[in-house]
Amino acid sequence: MADEDRIWKCAKCDRRLEKRKTVFSYLGHTVAHQVYACPGCGNVFIPEELAEGRMSEIEQQMEDK
Amino acid sequence: MKLEDATSYTARCFHGDPASCSYACPFRMDIRAFLEKAAAGRWLQAYKTLRNATVFPVVVSILCRQPCRAHCQRTLLGDEAIAVRDLEAASIRYAKNRKPESYVIPPKDKRIAVVGAGVAGLSCALHLAQKRFDVEVFEKEDRWGGALRNHPRFPEFDADISLQFSAVQAEFRFGSGVRSLDELAAFDAVYVATGAGGNSFGLLDSWEGDLFTTSAPGVFLGGALCGASPVEGIAQGVRASLAIEVFCQTGKASPAYGRSDENFCDRYLRHEGAVSSARVEASGPDGYSEEEAKAEAARCLQCDCDRCMANCEMLRSFRKNPHKIAVEVYNDMGVNPPFSVRTVTREAYSCNICGTCRSVCPVNVDIGALLQFSRVARTSAGIHPAALHDFWLREMDFASSEGSFASAGEGKARCDYAFYPGCQLGASEPEHVLRSCEFLRRRLDAGIILGCCGAPAYWAGDEARLRANTDRIRRDWNDLGKPALVFACATCEKVFGLFLPEIQRVSLYEVLAESDDIRPAGPFAAAAIFDPCAAKDDARMQLGVRNLAGKAGVALEELGEPNRCCGYGGHMRTANPRLFREITGNRARASEKPYIVYCANCREVFASEGKECVHILDMAFGLEPKTSVPSLEQKRANSLGVKREIMKKTTGVDFEPETHEWDDLDLVISEEMLEAMDRKLISAADLREAIWLAERSGRKFYDESDGMCVCSMVKPVITYWVQYRETAPKTYEIYRAYYHRMRFRGEEPSDG
Repeated sequence: MADEDRIWKCAKCDRRLEKRKTVFSYLGHTVAHQVYACPGCGNVFIPEELAEGRMSEIEQQMEDK
Repeated sequence: MKLEDATSYTARCFHGDPASCSYACPFRMDIRAFLEKAAAGRWLQAYKTLRNATVFPVVVSILCRQPCRAHCQRTLLGDEAIAVRDLEAASIRYAKNRKPESYVIPPKDKRIAVVGAGVAGLSCALHLAQKRFDVEVFEKEDRWGGALRNHPRFPEFDADISLQFSAVQAEFRFGSGVRSLDELAAFDAVYVATGAGGNSFGLLDSWEGDLFTTSAPGVFLGGALCGASPVEGIAQGVRASLAIEVFCQTGKASPAYGRSDENFCDRYLRHEGAVSSARVEASGPDGYSEEEAKAEAARCLQCDCDRCMANCEMLRSFRKNPHKIAVEVYNDMGVNPPFSVRTVTREAYSCNICGTCRSVCPVNVDIGALLQFSRVARTSAGIHPAALHDFWLREMDFASSEGSFASAGEGKARCDYAFYPGCQLGASEPEHVLRSCEFLRRRLDAGIILGCCGAPAYWAGDEARLRANTDRIRRDWNDLGKPALVFACATCEKVFGLFLPEIQRVSLYEVLAESDDIRPAGPFAAAAIFDPCAAKDDARMQLGVRNLAGKAGVALEELGEPNRCCGYGGHMRTANPRLFREITGNRARASEKPYIVYCANCREVFASEGKECVHILDMAFGLEPKTSVPSLEQKRANSLGVKREIMKKTTGVDFEPETHEWDDLDLVISEEMLEAMDRKLISAADLREAIWLAERSGRKFYDESDGMCVCSMVKPVITYWVQYRETAPKTYEIYRAYYHRMRFRGEEPSDG
């Protein structure tokens, strides 16, 4: 199964993840992004493509500032 | 931080300064820029450079004796100097519109009298008139030109003077000789340029050549009256006009701001790779054709020092000169977001701090030291990107705590020598430490200190951590009776030299080379020695390695650029992975021959690049050279294994490493995945801990279709993620491992 087709559930709440606007912070800068999170406990899921793609780019931009 | 704190690192740098020829020029003309424009056929721009500097370009192009040519660096190659005067004539001939510009400047209320309408007086008058002073020129004859009126080419001079004065207002009082300065009492300042043997109004003896002043306030002398040639007189007129301007503003004569009398006309560069070329001769009687002139101007070497930028991949990629970097290092400490941003962060953390810039610089400017200074300042101020050095600082903490050990030897409390292998040698190849330790025990009755020299803290700019580590080492060293330390790692030896200079340092390779017991054997008949950057100033370590390799009968090649960093230095790979790959690739290709290395980090870099190489200790002890790099987890295991074995031998005590509740988790990791983890600096131990925490707390995500799980573990600086599946009790197969540096600050309600 391709990972992008997976339906992840929160193991604690047994609920399917939903997209939520989440605020990220790094080195005093903040940015908001829609990411999957558990609607019950709010635990956020970051897939590898996001971490190593857009997130990494923004991290570098924030480090450079 | 003060601006000077940063700029003092680059104060000696002369990048962007005038070339040696310009320092010889009476006008300090930017000859390099003039020739660059001429070579491109930009004649009007070249002409303007000439005119702005020389005031009367036609006069100067005919009369100048060209002192610049004696300092043309073409002559270092055995070539004739650039034909500057002929090219000046060409720029005058080919410039399409030589009409002087006029600018709208409000008039000044100061009146200046110029006595004498020779070229010296005229150049001063023109400059002051351009600045809208009220200028009157007194000339006893009925026309301008002074002594040059008798020159056969005076008609050309006359036209040039007329042209340059055509855009300014100045009063000429011909036939009005001045007999006494009392006649000029209404003027705010007077410039006397009455020619050779002319009237100085009794002031010549009090003349000060620097500012052209005399004992009479506001009266300045210059030109042939003071012994100058016509060209020097024109140059003096310009400088005198500046002195007069300052006098009118402040009431006293002082040097114009920004003007320097420094003279560096012997500051020559090394012109490696420059090709000799003969002077272009004019084919016609009227001088150069356009094409000939362009070709002659193109012979200019455009002398400007860029050796650091030309020799360093990092400086080349960021395209900033040393002065700019220094100013940015200062500016970055005082940014005020969002109105200003830092601009030199990536450079600061992309530097290998290898010292190449310093060694290629004619005046030893060390940009690495400047960027290291920036790292220290940022860490002290808490504005450093901690994630860039977090991994190595954690490894340092491990090596300095659980991995550390000190012993004078079996049954001994003190020793005269102790081996300091450093943290990476044993982590990379335990046998290198164990064999060296045994050799030194036999040879020097040496003890041992295992630990980290502090290089990760040094490179991170973390002075507090570095100091704590140094104090720890000093305690161990004192406890062993202050032995001389034997180093295998050039970086350790360098760091000790900087921060623990009281400790006597010996190179392991020197000791090995002197021993008859050691009979090195090499896998290669011919090889190049790759000296690590940290051994740059360590001639004894370099010689020891060469002697060992020589004993093995290897035909040695010296690299053209010695002591370049393999890429590992400065721990810059996290900050700039692309540049890291560029550097490691370049170093691997520096010679076609296999490498002999004596740094564990160099060996690992080249093994990763697929470059054939051998560590000198493999040759010394007859070991099979390793072609692979141990995983991050294996490196820690290797370090602890070395400690266990040495501790047992010297103290008889069995070393018990720290244990964790997650140690008994079995991870199944493919080779490909392990390589990716090493590249990302993610250790299997971190994944084991993350899975254990997730399985215990239930804080994870899962896919019920096949039991795949994914979880994260938040560490102080990095958040790790692992995607895994349990394949048997306490056995997990790893599918993905990654990290990010950002934190979630809080959730907001979904838009939907």
